[in-house]
Amino acid sequence: MKPALLLVSASVFAQTKPVDFQREVRSILSDACYACHGPDKATRMANLRLDVPGPAVVAGKPEESKLWQRINHTNVALRMPPERVHKTITDAQKVTLKRWINEGAIYKQHWAFIAPERPQSPAPRDATWARTPIDRFLLARLESEGVKPAPEADRRTLARRLSFDLTGLPPAPADVEAFVKDAAPNAYEILVDKFMAMPQYGEHRARYWLDAARYADTHGIHIDNYREMWPYRDWVIKAFNKNMPFDQFTVEQLAGDLLPNPSIDQLAATGFHRCNITTNEGGSIDEEVAAVYAKDRVDTTGAVFMGLTIGCATCHDHKFDPITQREFYQMAAYFRNTTQKAMDGNIHDTPPVIVVPSDRDRTRWLAVQQEEKDLRARRERHRKNAHPAFEKWIASGKYKSFQQPFKALQPRFVATAPVNLPDGVKKAEGAAPGTESIQFAKSKSLELPNLKADLDSRKPFTIAAWVYLPKTEGDFVVASKIDRLDTKKNILRGWMLDFDARRPRFQLYGGVEDDLLLIRTGQTVRLKAGAWHHIAVTFDGSRDYKGLTMFVNGKVQYTESNSSTGYGIVEGSTIAQAPLRLASDGNKRFFEDGRIQELRVIDRELRDDEVELLSGWLSLEKALASGKAPEGPARETLELAYLNRSDKQWQKLSAQWLAQIGEQRAIERRSPVTHVMNEIKDKDPEAHILFRGMYDQPRDKVNAGPPSILGTMPADLPRNRMGLAKWLVDPKHPTMARVTVNRFWQEFFGTGIVKSSEDFGAQGLPPTHPELLDWLAIEFRESGWDVGKLVRMIVTSSAYRQAAITDDDKRKKDPENLLLSRGPRFRMDGEVIRDSALEAGGLLVKNMGGPSVKPYQPNGIWETVAMLGSNTRFYKQDHGKKLYRRSMYTFWKRSAPPSSMDIFNAPTREVCTVRRERTNTPLQALVTLNDVQFVEAARVLAEHAMKLPKSDFDDRLNFITARVLARPFEERERGIVRAAHRDLLLHYDAKPDEAKKLIATGEWPVDAKLSPAELAAWTMVASQVMNLDEALNK
Amino acid sequence: MMHPIDESVRVATRRQLLKRSAQGVGGIALASLLEGAEGGLPALPHFAPKAKRVIWLHMVGSPPQMDLFDWKPKMQEYFDKDLPESIRNGQRLTTMTSGQARFPIAPTAFKFAQHGKSGAWISDILPWTAKMADDITIIKSMHTEAINHEPAITFIQTGSMIAGKPCTGSWAAYGLGSMNKDLPSFVVLNANHTHPKANVQAISAKLWSAGFLSAQYAGVALRSGGDPVLYINNPDGVDGKTRRRMLDSLGELNQMTYDKLGDAETKARIEQYEMAFRMQTSVPDLTDLSKEPESTYKLYGEAAKKPGTFANQALMARRLAERGVRFIQLYMRGWDVHSDVPEILPAQCKDVDQALYGLVQDLKSRGMLDETVVIWGGEFGRTIYSQGKLSKDVYGRDHHPRCFSLWAAGGGFKPGVVWGETDDFSYNIVRDPVHVRDFQATLMHNLGIDHRRFTYKYQGLDQRLTGVEEAHVVKGIIRS
Repeated sequence: MKPALLLVSASVFAQTKPVDFQREVRSILSDACYACHGPDKATRMANLRLDVPGPAVVAGKPEESKLWQRINHTNVALRMPPERVHKTITDAQKVTLKRWINEGAIYKQHWAFIAPERPQSPAPRDATWARTPIDRFLLARLESEGVKPAPEADRRTLARRLSFDLTGLPPAPADVEAFVKDAAPNAYEILVDKFMAMPQYGEHRARYWLDAARYADTHGIHIDNYREMWPYRDWVIKAFNKNMPFDQFTVEQLAGDLLPNPSIDQLAATGFHRCNITTNEGGSIDEEVAAVYAKDRVDTTGAVFMGLTIGCATCHDHKFDPITQREFYQMAAYFRNTTQKAMDGNIHDTPPVIVVPSDRDRTRWLAVQQEEKDLRARRERHRKNAHPAFEKWIASGKYKSFQQPFKALQPRFVATAPVNLPDGVKKAEGAAPGTESIQFAKSKSLELPNLKADLDSRKPFTIAAWVYLPKTEGDFVVASKIDRLDTKKNILRGWMLDFDARRPRFQLYGGVEDDLLLIRTGQTVRLKAGAWHHIAVTFDGSRDYKGLTMFVNGKVQYTESNSSTGYGIVEGSTIAQAPLRLASDGNKRFFEDGRIQELRVIDRELRDDEVELLSGWLSLEKALASGKAPEGPARETLELAYLNRSDKQWQKLSAQWLAQIGEQRAIERRSPVTHVMNEIKDKDPEAHILFRGMYDQPRDKVNAGPPSILGTMPADLPRNRMGLAKWLVDPKHPTMARVTVNRFWQEFFGTGIVKSSEDFGAQGLPPTHPELLDWLAIEFRESGWDVGKLVRMIVTSSAYRQAAITDDDKRKKDPENLLLSRGPRFRMDGEVIRDSALEAGGLLVKNMGGPSVKPYQPNGIWETVAMLGSNTRFYKQDHGKKLYRRSMYTFWKRSAPPSSMDIFNAPTREVCTVRRERTNTPLQALVTLNDVQFVEAARVLAEHAMKLPKSDFDDRLNFITARVLARPFEERERGIVRAAHRDLLLHYDAKPDEAKKLIATGEWPVDAKLSPAELAAWTMVASQVMNLDEALNK
Repeated sequence: MMHPIDESVRVATRRQLLKRSAQGVGGIALASLLEGAEGGLPALPHFAPKAKRVIWLHMVGSPPQMDLFDWKPKMQEYFDKDLPESIRNGQRLTTMTSGQARFPIAPTAFKFAQHGKSGAWISDILPWTAKMADDITIIKSMHTEAINHEPAITFIQTGSMIAGKPCTGSWAAYGLGSMNKDLPSFVVLNANHTHPKANVQAISAKLWSAGFLSAQYAGVALRSGGDPVLYINNPDGVDGKTRRRMLDSLGELNQMTYDKLGDAETKARIEQYEMAFRMQTSVPDLTDLSKEPESTYKLYGEAAKKPGTFANQALMARRLAERGVRFIQLYMRGWDVHSDVPEILPAQCKDVDQALYGLVQDLKSRGMLDETVVIWGGEFGRTIYSQGKLSKDVYGRDHHPRCFSLWAAGGGFKPGVVWGETDDFSYNIVRDPVHVRDFQATLMHNLGIDHRRFTYKYQGLDQRLTGVEEAHVVKGIIRS
């Protein structure tokens, strides 16, 4: 690809012109020399660099230039580049270098790093062809190459091309016919406006962006569980549909959370950088994982907004572009200052997330949050105000009679050691000196059948206990009440409180396969061995995992929680017949050498202050026993106890606060969440340079900042993501606008003006039309980053409206259509191909947004790769309307993306992709020939054709081709199809069973009134049309 | 009348046309599948190859070396004693055991004996493997840099811990091209395990992705359930003849489009539809085991009759090799034995043992072993100390990057060699270390490739499988 381009350039810039450093010299030096004599100081040899002017090149004097001497050295050992690097400088390249030195050895900054200036619009010889300024640039170049543009495409082709490019769908046949007949001079523009006003316009634009944003529905690494993220996807669609200015689009996605009083939508926009893949793999090291996340965000930001491969500077200075390793970590700093934990917890709502209530709930939601905040503040104020009363109470000595603090907590029971303990179970010292606990020997446990210990998933409760963890590793079961309904399938009913590798865990089992709620502390919260801990779990009786909270020593914990079903609800009854067991799961797991004290159940969801009180009580009790007024933490616990027992106002405020939480949770339950960015507010973004990129080799600390080659950060901008975003959209930024217009260009013409749309650096490809790129970038920026206007300018250009016809001359002079000597024609993306089949069949359901759907997919795609515990292990196919949504709504599991799109080069969405590959393979043919989705669409299209009021062969065929190709077949084509149809009909007439089998493909009901043989034959005809090269290309 | 485009097509041979198109926008995927096309790089192989193809049996999750090949008799005295600090020596641990209060040693629960002329020590839960001790090269001194599965598997397959680089199979397909015209060059198989408690690790398409190489070099997964190749089967009610009839007129219509527009991609598409049709014949033939004689099942074991078992997939690997597939990557999961090694490991071994023997002997008797590399192993090693509960017959093992065992057979590897040595704790390598990169370099060497010279330009760098760090061909384990 690259050689072809150079060939083109060589013919443009004939030998008579001076050598252009940008175009001709830099690539030679970069390729052959920069690895040792370039920007990277770590690997720089002989302290000599060739990427900037220096002593090795003497202007006008090649013979005196070390560069020239060494590349021509007769001694092989001294000749550059050395043999070991496997590089050569060709004779032609040497000639270029010599001329360059002779002409003064002028270095120029790489083009992309110089801010664009609006170039003069050229005046091509043919003044009539150009409709837009774009055309003048393109035509001038074509004229200089001696190539004529292709004639304008016919109206049907144009209508189809426009429809696909603007909406991602084939045009409605009526729209095509109207356009063909429309004599208005602006008929084309009217059609453009019509398509751009359709909601499908935003969907189609968003689909490209979502590749760049690496949007998907799972976390991506290891367990690869469901991630709730679709409100971000819907935000992108809406942004394009309301033609949000691209600078605002950028700022809200990179830093929406840092805007003053950000709206829910602005927060949802920051999902852009929460789309990265995350892990919860056991054993992972937080620091390492956090470094990987930051790198992904830097890489993505670099590729999407700057056109730079900044990630190349992770381990060392960039080899080709002037980006230092330090600058990489300055960029990383922007993304390290986050409240996000490294481990995603395998949950669908890894914090920070926000609830995105429906429009109906939104007002109340915002109010409720404020009210809750107010109440909490009022309660705290009251606590302070009540302090003197408490002190008075202490002074009065009344506290001495304070013996039953838990009356208000009203436990259902507190499990204590019975008088007769079985063998291997004994009393031992408790969590506080002088208190008593129960200790268990190997394989010993205690059954307490008299305690009513059921925990009902439909009722609120709190379960708490003091637990001593022994020093040895082993099974740590604190308590359980479990019925084993099916040991083989591991179907349980009841509950268990235990430890999973010293992480406290609580589970509620619903008695049905895969029906449970689980909560446990995060990966890194493993409790100390050989120590006492107070564990408490509260539940609001909602059956929902969100109603579970876990506390250790009175403090709320960061937890992982999920249900096996992935929907977060336990369905079945959790009431078990088995007795309460301490130190046993009723099967093979025990609590060797462990101790348990005061296991209690309360029929209420305790508030956080109540749990704190509970955990503080043992020490308080001891303090009280001494007869003196308690001090320190015990005194604080006593104050909490006092408030809860004696202060009516405190009780009232607390009850109100809990009710408020209840209303919040109710809205939460019926609303989706979405992942957002959240800055650590009281800290400046910073990062450490990691030696060779290794997380455990931190070096200098650096502050956040952009790569200096793209300009400095204005002093008035904040040193955080907001500053970064504002800096990007600053008019002085050299690449942002260029990279953006280039990507839009690529959507329409298939290839960017800079083909390497992700890399505008020294190793990227040079622009085919540098002046046009600059002109577009400035026009776009000065229009207020108006995407709609840019799109309209592109599609109304003469260049875009050309017929896609190649001839020998064009093939020779413009083999890849980089000069745009003909109209754009290329195989459409997998999503568009599927959508267009559904639309042609009249099956497409055009609802916008919402949770992702699971249409047909071959069996076993997920199971083959998934982890046993993953909630995306089994693909549960949807039915009805959900089979026919646009492909952008198909559930995207990153470790096994939708197969029919994967085969058409859809990225896995694991990393940012701004340019898809476009291959042409037999596997693709198999998809459109055999995938049930396509066969069904062909069959339903055939049904519609057969049901036309007047319906002979030609009418039916016209109907099909109008919907798929936007045109009627010519006579010769018609003849080919007629012959095929005749043979197919004969075949199916003779084999009615085969016909019935074929038309039964898919879940869409078959119209029983139609002849099966005839429908089968027409299904094959429709499928044939849908498989045409013409149908797969735009 | 002669159409000017037809004229130009006639001049160029089809091969040239396809080649040009493959370099052009889009390119032609699975160039390796093209009729008559060999693909591959002109400069390759760099020297005479020992092997033509590779069958890589990857045991996902990583088997414990000290329970299978790396016998440590001294450990019996160390039962439940702490791993000496001098041995661990600041080693970073996964967070699964880094907080453990103790690191008590769990000696293997299995018996070992010496086998073959090499006197290799092999665990008694691998009796069939033991029988072929003199056919294989056991490397006890493999080591890696990753301590968790995702990065470690990605590393051993792609040479980088971070996803996005091409895997070894893709490199081979890209560099060496295809040896057949009906099947992809690089095929991926997945085998099931049987023990219900076995701890399973994730695998995903990124492991067999082509990374920055063209997608045409990505592995094509051959499935053991449903369609063996996705969408290979015609819909119900469409037989081969009907499909042929439909494709005939489809081809005619596409030819008209080509005549009208002159887009080389159209021509390529006609070819791809024909190739798809050929695959519809060749793949069922490949997966139809009905003609395998009973002796095959004697060799691989009865389990080979059941789709999806390791034995069945090992047999499939041989059939792919026979049909000229260049690189066969087989994954089997369930080896991540964090607990219950004595219970789970024998079951895992039983799933694979006889079929491993069967595959190697089968290739040998067909005269294919010499030109086929067979590799068996995981992504890293496991710890001598127990994770979680420890007794004589209950222990678990955590991940361990500093040493692990792997074996290779055929295709240039020196049979009957036991390479490398670890300390008494199977913790550190004391002799002849083989880094994952060294192994990759050695594998490439056997394929006739100098890993230093086999590069692909991406992001300005000459990317290679073995990355930028040094890697060495391990001369001691290859035939000269």
